[in-house]
Formats: sequence, C-alpha cells, structure tokens
Amino acid sequence: MNLDFSAAWQALIHHPLFGLGITLAVYQLAVIAYERTRWIFLQPVLFSMVVLVALLLLSGLDYGEYSASVSPLILLLGPSTVALAVPLYLNLRRIRQLLVPILVTLLVAGVFATVSGVLLAWLLGAERLVLMTLAPKSVTSPIAMLVADEIGGVAALAAVFVMITGVLGAMFGPALLDLCRVSHPAARGMAMGMTAHAVGTSRALQESEECGAFSALAMSLMGVATAVLLPLLVALIV
Amino acid sequence: MLVLRGLTWLILFQLLGTVLNVLLLPILPGPIIGLLLLLGFLVMRGEVSESLNQGSSQLLRFLPLFLIPPAVGVIVYAEALAADFWAIAVTLVVSLAVSMAFAGWLMQKLIDRQRRREGDA
Repeated sequence: MNLDFSAAWQALIHHPLFGLGITLAVYQLAVIAYERTRWIFLQPVLFSMVVLVALLLLSGLDYGEYSASVSPLILLLGPSTVALAVPLYLNLRRIRQLLVPILVTLLVAGVFATVSGVLLAWLLGAERLVLMTLAPKSVTSPIAMLVADEIGGVAALAAVFVMITGVLGAMFGPALLDLCRVSHPAARGMAMGMTAHAVGTSRALQESEECGAFSALAMSLMGVATAVLLPLLVALIV
Repeated sequence: MLVLRGLTWLILFQLLGTVLNVLLLPILPGPIIGLLLLLGFLVMRGEVSESLNQGSSQLLRFLPLFLIPPAVGVIVYAEALAADFWAIAVTLVVSLAVSMAFAGWLMQKLIDRQRRREGDA
C-alpha cells in the first residue's frame, strides 16, 4: 500500500477549520500555562501570537488563508468592543467624588502619553506607518487596533505594541510609582489603567480593589477618549 | 437565551454604529460609535439589564481570544517592524515610563489638593 502523506498533509493544513482549530488549542494552552506560572511573558495573547506565527511559518500556511479560517473570531471583535460600554458604565457610577482629578488627569496625562510616544519615535526616525501605529499604544487592544487602522497605521502591529506596553507596565509600574511617591490607590490605579490598559488593570487588582476599579475606569476612559479624539486630531493636523 | 438576547443588542448597537459611520461620522470606527451609543443608552436608562449584563460579560471573557487573529497579522509586517526596531523599542519603554510616572504624580497632586480644600471648607 502506498500512502500519500503529502496529499493528506495538504488537506489537513488547508482545511477551513485548521486555522480556527490551532488558534483555539494554542490559546487554551497559553491560558493554562499563564495560570500555572503567572509568568508575565506568558501573557496569553502575546504568547499565542508568537506560537501561531511560528506554526504558520512552519506549515507554510499564508496569513490570508489563516485569516479566512478564523473569521468567526474576527467577526465577534466588533460586538465585544461595543460590550466594553457595560463595565465602563458600572465604573462610572461608583466613582463620583474624584470626578475633577480623573478628568484633568485623563486629558493632560492622556495627551502627554500619546504625544510623547509619537514625538519620540519621530525623533528616532521611525516611518509614518509606524508612528500612526504607535499613537494608540496606551489603550486596550480592540480600540487601539481600530484606531490604528483608521489613522493609517497597522492594526496587527498596534496589537503587538499594546501588548508589550501592557506587559512592561504591569511588570515595572508598581515599583516606578513607589519611586515617584504615588501612594493613593486611586492615583496608582489611574496611572496603570491609563498607560498599561487591561494588563495594568489586572496588576492593579492585585494591589487592592479600589486600585483595580480606578484602573478599569481609567482604561475605559482612555480608550474612548483616544478613539474619539485621536482620529479627529490626525485629520486636523495631517 | 439571556446571553443570546444580550448578544443581539450588542450586534444591533454595532450595526447602528456602522450606519452612522457611513452617514455622518467617517472618522470614528463603527464599533466605537456603537460603544458610545450603548453608553448613552445605559446612562439614560440608569441600569444594565440582565440580558445585556450576561451577553457582555460572556463576550468579554473571550476578548483575548478574539484579539489573537489580528495580532498574528504581524507576520505580514515583519519588515516594517525590523526596519524601525530600535526606534520602536526605545519609544515603547521610555514613553511608558514617563507617561505612567506623570499620570500617577498628577493624579496624586490633584487628589491631595481636593482633600485640602475639603478640609478647609
């Protein structure tokens, strides 16, 4: 008997479910690995991305075909972004007393975070494509990806920059804030959520409930403010 | 069934956002308009219905999974990434450190000031 392994292999990797299957499997393994070790480099999205890129390169499956296979997941990203309104609303209700400090910090530090990043990369000679991708790096991935795409950057790269920013923020943020003598849990949470989004928020939750709540609020506000203001700003300036 | 009803609402808001994006607001992405509309709706109603609560929390649980396919797209941009590698690396680290320190410092100062005022009054 002569088994045609090559034909079977081709049928396997080009099956419409192959991309979806490996994505689900890798993601679950990444989540388990992260929960076991709590090692920040195993942050599930970042780790899954690295493993899947390696698998695509090894199997020779191109990104277009992979992307068609995982289209059900991509389709659900839109309603998930809309769903972010629910936690934002719940956080808005609980934090009324510090409204003025929150809004001032959001506007001043938010603009600073965005502008400092773009300016620095520009001074270091990065191309326009990269600059527009770096601009929304402080906000949660679904929003950052949409905004990057909108202003002429690359959604995929934005996701990577966002993840790296978040992981660095969660790793070094608490020590940095200690160094700057930021002691109030609301201020610590606000700083972590604004600059290191969801990953920073999960770190802030480990400090205290109050710190986590402010971090979640800051993350949502920064996300919405960036989504609304950044495309407007870019349209005006460029 | 509650989850499905919640999901239907979320899709409805996203579709509404897409329609408004094409008609009136080409600079804002459809899902973002949907998010703002839903937020406005919740503020007006003053509560989150059970279906919307369940639909959104179920969906948000899997948000990291939905982010993976676009992130894998980085494979297409390996060259752009390699060309500006140092600019990107330095920017990500320095800008994060400076922004986080500044945001924390500013918020701390503002809270201290508000406390002092309340103490005076």
